[in-house]
Amino acid sequence: MYHQNDATLAIKNVVRVANIIANLDTILQEAKNLSLTAKNARVVALRAGDSAFGFKPITNFIDEFSELTIKTTKSISMLSSNLFEIALSVVRYSDFQLRLNIAAQYTEHTDIHHLQQQGRLEFIRTVKQLESAVMHLEGYFEDILKQMRSAEYIAVTSRVEASNAGEFSESLQSVSNFIAGAAKNIKHAINENLKEISLLKGALR
Amino acid sequence: MKSTEIYSSTTHTWIVLGRDSQKSEKIIDTNQYLIKSNDEAIILDPGGIELFSSMLASLLKHVKLEQITTLFASHQDPDIISSLGLWDKALPHATLHAPWLWEGFIRHFGMDNIQYQSIKDEGGEIKIGKAALKFIPAHYLHSSGNFNVYDPKAKILMSGDIGAALEKNEPPMFVEDFASHIKHMEYFHRRWMPSNRAKNNWVARIRELEVDMMAPQHGRIFKGEMVQEFLEWFARLDVGSASD
Repeated sequence: MYHQNDATLAIKNVVRVANIIANLDTILQEAKNLSLTAKNARVVALRAGDSAFGFKPITNFIDEFSELTIKTTKSISMLSSNLFEIALSVVRYSDFQLRLNIAAQYTEHTDIHHLQQQGRLEFIRTVKQLESAVMHLEGYFEDILKQMRSAEYIAVTSRVEASNAGEFSESLQSVSNFIAGAAKNIKHAINENLKEISLLKGALR
Repeated sequence: MKSTEIYSSTTHTWIVLGRDSQKSEKIIDTNQYLIKSNDEAIILDPGGIELFSSMLASLLKHVKLEQITTLFASHQDPDIISSLGLWDKALPHATLHAPWLWEGFIRHFGMDNIQYQSIKDEGGEIKIGKAALKFIPAHYLHSSGNFNVYDPKAKILMSGDIGAALEKNEPPMFVEDFASHIKHMEYFHRRWMPSNRAKNNWVARIRELEVDMMAPQHGRIFKGEMVQEFLEWFARLDVGSASD
């Protein structure tokens, strides 16, 4: 049986999806900045020559995972717009159910009963679609989280390499700081999204 | 919601649905019309989201759900068609006839299944079972893309917002005394209708038709002489009052 609460819950789910999508922008922006930083760091490392020898493979590595993060975030963006559509569909079916229940109070016509059953099945189908999309999304976020753990490790290693880079030490140090900062921001956004996903999963159960 | 049969012949029947006692007082009262013929039926201006439940329950007293093949929206207003997202689930195989001008707007109400059939500015025709209906242009009265529905056999004109009256409580279904009814219509027509030119063109167009009953979307229905009285009154009325 459907209640007003189901419709309210469905709307709250849309808000959660909206929050997730809003956080994606932060992730994408930070990942793009990381990629740019890797390119700048490569130039500095080249100019520094032998004194920054250990920094070059690090810049390659930053470049690699920032590209990976951008790619994953873009996949998430595509999935998210689909997620929005499904979440909206859940809202519409839950509203439909609510209105049918009111109609059922006015008449016991079999067509209403039939519509209620049909609507319920469609509602369950869309909720399952939403669940599956949310699971996918969670997987993507966990991938990025792993990439960010690597980024934090690299930030520490690059700091050591930067300290040996003589006059270029300060520039490379700021690269290390930037990597650490970006990784922290991305991790924060992802953790926020994982919290929203956990609430979303709880609501769909 | 009350439903009243206003016309019946061997070919088809007109039913008006309205005066919903369950609806909130803050929502404007609306008339919805059902025309059924053989195994087909059309709902004219199906109404807003808030009316969906009582509309559905009332309709099922007269037709089976699968008989409702067609919807018509005279224009894009929420009291006309904001229930579309719900009808889209209840009647996934139905077709909606509505002004071409509003397609991209009306789709905002949610339309995944129902088919949108655009009505051109010059109007058109449709058959529902054995009933032949005409879409009569009524642009700028009040909406810029707007149609009435005329049934030449029943001689009924579903006039949308033209002839609408804003009366509290539950007024009778038909206009009994035109002079005393004016006070319920005048402000609505002067304020909602923007164009004297459009109004005069419409009056001329309708005078060419045989109309026994003029059925608006709000308020009472005009019958017999009341129709002519309305046309004369409306022809004289200066509209577009907010532009003064």
